[in-house]
Amino acid sequence: MASTSGRQLKAMLRKDIVMELRTKEMIMSMGLYSLLTMVVYFVALSQAGSTFDPRDIAAGLLWLAFIFTSMLGLNRSLVHEKDQGCLEALLLSPVDRPVIFFAKAGGNLIFLLAVEALTLPVFGFLFLQGTQLDWSSIALLPLILIAGSTGMAGVGTLLATMSVNTSGKDFVLAMLFIPLMYPLLLGAVTATGGAIVGGVQGVEVFWTGMAWVLGYDVIMLLASYGLYEFIVGA
Amino acid sequence: MRSLTTRASVALVLGGILTLGAFLGAFFWAGVPDFGFVRTAEQADSVRYTGPFEQPIDEARYLANYAGYTIEIEAGGETVRGELVSADKDAVELTTDTGSVTIDAADFEAARVFGSEYGRPDWGQKIFYFHVPVAEISFIVFAFAAFYAVRFLMTRDRENDTKARVSMEVTLVFVVLTMLTGILWTKAAWGVWWDWEPRLTTYFILTLLVVAYFVLRNSVEDEERRAVYAAVFSILAFIDVPISFFITRLIPSNHPVIESGGLEGPMLVSFILGQVGMIALGYAIYQLRMGEVQLYDRIEQAKALLER
Repeated sequence: MASTSGRQLKAMLRKDIVMELRTKEMIMSMGLYSLLTMVVYFVALSQAGSTFDPRDIAAGLLWLAFIFTSMLGLNRSLVHEKDQGCLEALLLSPVDRPVIFFAKAGGNLIFLLAVEALTLPVFGFLFLQGTQLDWSSIALLPLILIAGSTGMAGVGTLLATMSVNTSGKDFVLAMLFIPLMYPLLLGAVTATGGAIVGGVQGVEVFWTGMAWVLGYDVIMLLASYGLYEFIVGA
Repeated sequence: MRSLTTRASVALVLGGILTLGAFLGAFFWAGVPDFGFVRTAEQADSVRYTGPFEQPIDEARYLANYAGYTIEIEAGGETVRGELVSADKDAVELTTDTGSVTIDAADFEAARVFGSEYGRPDWGQKIFYFHVPVAEISFIVFAFAAFYAVRFLMTRDRENDTKARVSMEVTLVFVVLTMLTGILWTKAAWGVWWDWEPRLTTYFILTLLVVAYFVLRNSVEDEERRAVYAAVFSILAFIDVPISFFITRLIPSNHPVIESGGLEGPMLVSFILGQVGMIALGYAIYQLRMGEVQLYDRIEQAKALLER
């Protein structure tokens, strides 16, 4: 049984990745969206003067970009399934519902991480030039990105599966997603801020935020995993 | 149907009388509490608290509302005690025995406000008699909504979905009441209409979640699907309730935390009256709305039968 689910999972993940590699649609749109957000940041901060320290707000700006980009990606990934009738086909086949959840969430996670990996250096290049960066604590950043993105992908997949069947798709997803993401965002921004600012205190703050995010991930992913079969069967 | 209306009416009248009693008791009978919402010394040092309950405050601007009160300020390693003249985000001015003292907000470390010995009634504190019951009940009714949502997912019985929806509507009512009384109390106690501190923020998120529940319900056309989606979302949203409730005990927060009892006499009676009254009102609202929904459903069924 386990090996069949494993194979099914791999097959579904591969389908998503291969489709994406062929069209490059989601990565392109998410990546460009992220870049456009950076441009807006520049305009937004243009009046802030030259004396403020961009490291203070870098974490918040980064996660703002990630959250809106992830909403874009989530919506698109589920819209495909609905339009082409893939989801119904999947439901007819003898696939366990949780496997569908992990496959979709896994695909979303991979795309989100790819976009984040692209955004992070661009952000650093655009906004963090000339600031003192503690590279040993910057090295901790991938950890929080993975932890935070896992939470976003997991809960987001559940909510997107719901919202794609409603009449106000993007808006409903935003309305459901952002309040539920708040604890995750808080932890992630705290941790990222700690990593960017660096130093002994920064690293302490990083691990506190990381613990918060991991706790959130465990609870919410369990809940999403348990509730997904109700959603996808309705 | 009849028993529903009778129960609801009784609860409504009872709730109304008790809440009125709490109101009268709070304003005309209860005094100003002498007990403090006090924590241990270590916690007290790391917590920004405000109010006439001998709690340390560590941001000068929060003292703005306490002009005329006796204040003890720690600044630059020294403690100064005097009557507060004015306070804002730049400086605090006190009148001590030796004359006028101005303390820079940057040096400001902590302050204690002594209200009860000053003998002035703190009208803002009276909101406590309403804010605490409505807040508690908003959590409790949300728990009921989540419970009915779980029951619905287990039984797929439309009844449970209706009960879950009506519970969420009552939750919305109490959440809005909590936010309103909370905002009034924030202005009275802290001098600002809103502050992004842990309890307020998580409760605001809760408000957004309850509103999102209704947005979701209204945007799904198919009935069964709507019920399933709403049930799943309310279960996810319920996770914020314990977070919101316990966050003041986990993170240093400005929001008062009641660690142990200490109410006596008139204050205790007023508080209990308010508590029981609000429970009765919540029950009454639920039953009345339930009756309305059931009546609507019966009419819809009759219409459907007539159309055939």
